[in-house]
Amino acid sequence: MLDVESLQTVKADKVIDARGTSCPGPLLAAKKAIGEISDGQTMEVLSADEGTRRDIPKWCEKKGYQYLGTLEESGYFRIFLKK
Amino acid sequence: MANKKLTLALYSGSVDKLTAAGVILGGAAAEDMDVEIFVLLQAAFAFKKENAMTNDRVAELTDKKDEFLAALKRLNTPHWTEAFKTAKEMTNVKIHICGFAGKVWNGFKLDDFIDLADDICGIGEYIASAETADVNLFI
Repeated sequence: MLDVESLQTVKADKVIDARGTSCPGPLLAAKKAIGEISDGQTMEVLSADEGTRRDIPKWCEKKGYQYLGTLEESGYFRIFLKK
Repeated sequence: MANKKLTLALYSGSVDKLTAAGVILGGAAAEDMDVEIFVLLQAAFAFKKENAMTNDRVAELTDKKDEFLAALKRLNTPHWTEAFKTAKEMTNVKIHICGFAGKVWNGFKLDDFIDLADDICGIGEYIASAETADVNLFI
């Protein structure tokens, strides 16, 4: 996990904007996109769904990815993870 | 490590419960679970080709049906058939139509049902699948 200041400096290798979908849309978008980045690269998932904010850390743990943390913006979340 | 398995006895033919099933399938797909769905009685009605896209019955809160359907649209929730299709594309999902259920709704062969269906089966296969499932649901 990174602190807020460190998260704000992360330039993700891939950014997925899933704000137009509800659960499980953002999680499925993340799963699709994770195949498009290499080990060690980072991904940022934009989601307006509160459930996704909780799902992605659990999903990362199960799949062996590193959950880096979440930034809360106005009306949505920026969720960071590393493959 | 072998994938975990979800077995779903899908009885309901109503879009509220089918939509819930679609959401759960999405969660299972995200985790690469193997999924076996057994389409029982009323669900077989919803899986008939002529009914899948037109059936808009709901099982719960029937007086709120219009509000519910409008909310699904507002939230960009995919139709249940689309959610099932996405899950099939992302993980190993097999959809079995119960032969008896099919006959109840005049569906005698696989071609009578939407393309998502893989085969027609007997209830013994459901029991065998449930016996070895990590998660077993009845909807």
